[in-house]
Amino acid sequence: MSFPGVVVLASAQTELRPAWHSAQHVDLISAVSTAVFQGTGLTLEDVDFVIDSGSDVLDGRSISNCGFLGAMGAHHKEESRVEEDGLWAAAYGAAKIAAGGASAGLIIAYSKPSESDPNLFYKSQVEPFYQRPVGFDHRAAMGMQAQRYLADHGTSVGALAELVVRRWQDAASRGRVAIDSVPDVAGVLASPNVAAPLRQLMMSRLVDGAVAVLLVSDEVALRCGRSAPRITGVGTSMDTHAFAARRAGRLEAAEVAARAAYRQAGWAHPAPSLAEVSGSSAVGELMVLEAAGLAAPGRGLDLLEHGSPVAVNRSGGALPADPIMATGLVRLAEAARQLSNPGRYGLAAPRSALVHGTGGVGMQSHCFMTLEV
Amino acid sequence: MLPRPDSFPVDLPPRHSVLSMPYTLTPGPATGTTLAALKQRRLLGSRFKTSGKVVVPAQDFCPDTGDSQFDFVEAPHTGVLNAFTETAEGLLGLVRIDGSDVDMAHRLVDTSYADLKVGQRVSAVWSDAPDAGYLSLSGFRPDASAPLGKVEPYAGGVEAVKVVPYHLDLHYNHAYGPFFGRLFDEMRTSGRILGVRMPDGDGALLPPREIDDISHRPSGTWVEIKQTGTVLAMSIIYLEFVGQKQPPPYIYAEILLDGARTKLIHNVSGLDMSRAKELVKPGTRVRAVWRVERTGSLDDISHFELLDGEEQH
Repeated sequence: MSFPGVVVLASAQTELRPAWHSAQHVDLISAVSTAVFQGTGLTLEDVDFVIDSGSDVLDGRSISNCGFLGAMGAHHKEESRVEEDGLWAAAYGAAKIAAGGASAGLIIAYSKPSESDPNLFYKSQVEPFYQRPVGFDHRAAMGMQAQRYLADHGTSVGALAELVVRRWQDAASRGRVAIDSVPDVAGVLASPNVAAPLRQLMMSRLVDGAVAVLLVSDEVALRCGRSAPRITGVGTSMDTHAFAARRAGRLEAAEVAARAAYRQAGWAHPAPSLAEVSGSSAVGELMVLEAAGLAAPGRGLDLLEHGSPVAVNRSGGALPADPIMATGLVRLAEAARQLSNPGRYGLAAPRSALVHGTGGVGMQSHCFMTLEV
Repeated sequence: MLPRPDSFPVDLPPRHSVLSMPYTLTPGPATGTTLAALKQRRLLGSRFKTSGKVVVPAQDFCPDTGDSQFDFVEAPHTGVLNAFTETAEGLLGLVRIDGSDVDMAHRLVDTSYADLKVGQRVSAVWSDAPDAGYLSLSGFRPDASAPLGKVEPYAGGVEAVKVVPYHLDLHYNHAYGPFFGRLFDEMRTSGRILGVRMPDGDGALLPPREIDDISHRPSGTWVEIKQTGTVLAMSIIYLEFVGQKQPPPYIYAEILLDGARTKLIHNVSGLDMSRAKELVKPGTRVRAVWRVERTGSLDDISHFELLDGEEQH
């Protein structure tokens, strides 16, 4: 049940900034929807469909993709909106190409959380009768998840702070992320309490930005003369909406999604050269790595150590830059870049990558994708 | 973004906007009955018929199987703390009510974060407020001596809450960006309407933008657009609805400003509304009327007025 040839041909990304005050959504989107074709030999005319990912609630308008169609290059093209992280949009696009109905698709995800109150974005996703009245929200979910993780595995908040510092250092040196200064461990531990035991800097930092990825069939990639990573497996899964009814201390939906992707890729023992994963918090990231089988439960931090078999989040991942709805597609763009230009990321000869996106309150939904060169 | 002569970030403060959403939420049988029972200081759960699973507070569907066949049960007011956190909203925890198969998220009261432990016994704290809704159950407090409770058969006597009024206000600060920024800045400071030339140079895009929506090619340089135009389509609005900016009746029209290739939707007014259908039709010529106080928005044009004696077919 292998995945028929779909290639991540090219990507374009704006800088990820805490706030793009000088640009509106369409400005960010047109920047990437034009730049993504550079050097590919393809133009918008070669594109069969556009799939975009964004949130009406974050954008402050209903069916917001309708207002952005022109900027996305979707005029009179087949267009679909995915109201979930952009990695799902890529999964949808890959399925269309794999099914043989199309040979090139433009996948776009964007986000401007700086324009609204992201806590309300998450609050709007929470059940209104039992959960909203008590003040339960995404932060509380991440806090309770972290509290259980630390209690179950004896991990210290200091170790979480070290993970955060590493991610910010990587983002500052290799990611396309605006960073004024990289915090140190003391700075992470001294940042305000957001959802005990999580400090502000242990939560993902929300940023504005847009990303576009060009997916094409093997045949088109061959014509373009590009050797680019192929998508070899995709898996998605969603956990129950009620956070309290999920299994404490585990991301079961992530486990299911990862297994599905591995099965498709034929990875009996997952050992990707690199991984780009999303986490809404430092603990969230560790739990994803463990759910994906890259580390034993409670041992996700081992992947930080020198000599780790998997290079995790060389871009910095989602902790320093989480453009909600675009975060997973940024991971795909980053992983494809790392496979194509390994030297720039301190990698020798990577052959495969694991890509992950997440969405929802307390990371309810998960999407995994495997890439191979 | 592409370099463009004369395009620069205009430092307008972002546009504040509010989406104010009123709701009348339907809780359904399980939640509606639970909300009503809480007023009597009773905590209800569902016992699903096929899975046998007990869920507190009651739900209409089993979280595992989706089974919708259930019996209400009376749940005890005691349980175990399974996880906790502290946010700006206060202390929150996952409490497993004795006899329930899933946790519930609720407030933790009369305690502090440092004093909490996974596995400790807790008991319910009730509110005296008459209209506390779900918060009739204020939360749970640590209670080492809380006896192990038992789920009992539902005793009845509860009339379900049918509707819960709710309101959600979402606030936004929208950035204008370089193109809308200059458009609205020019409207405010000089009462001019600026577009950008179409990629083929013929006519202008309004509102201005980097990429032409149709051809996806970069648009051209800035151009001032005339303040007169032609009505292409119109509608007289009689309906009243939530969020309306003016009392009906009023006219919305699609107006093609002279020199533009794209249409603008705005009001046509200042006329005898009893003759609206006769006076405003496709081809009617109109002119922008500006407000005295301009703020940098499309609303700086108060409306379009009829240009007497001109008609275009």
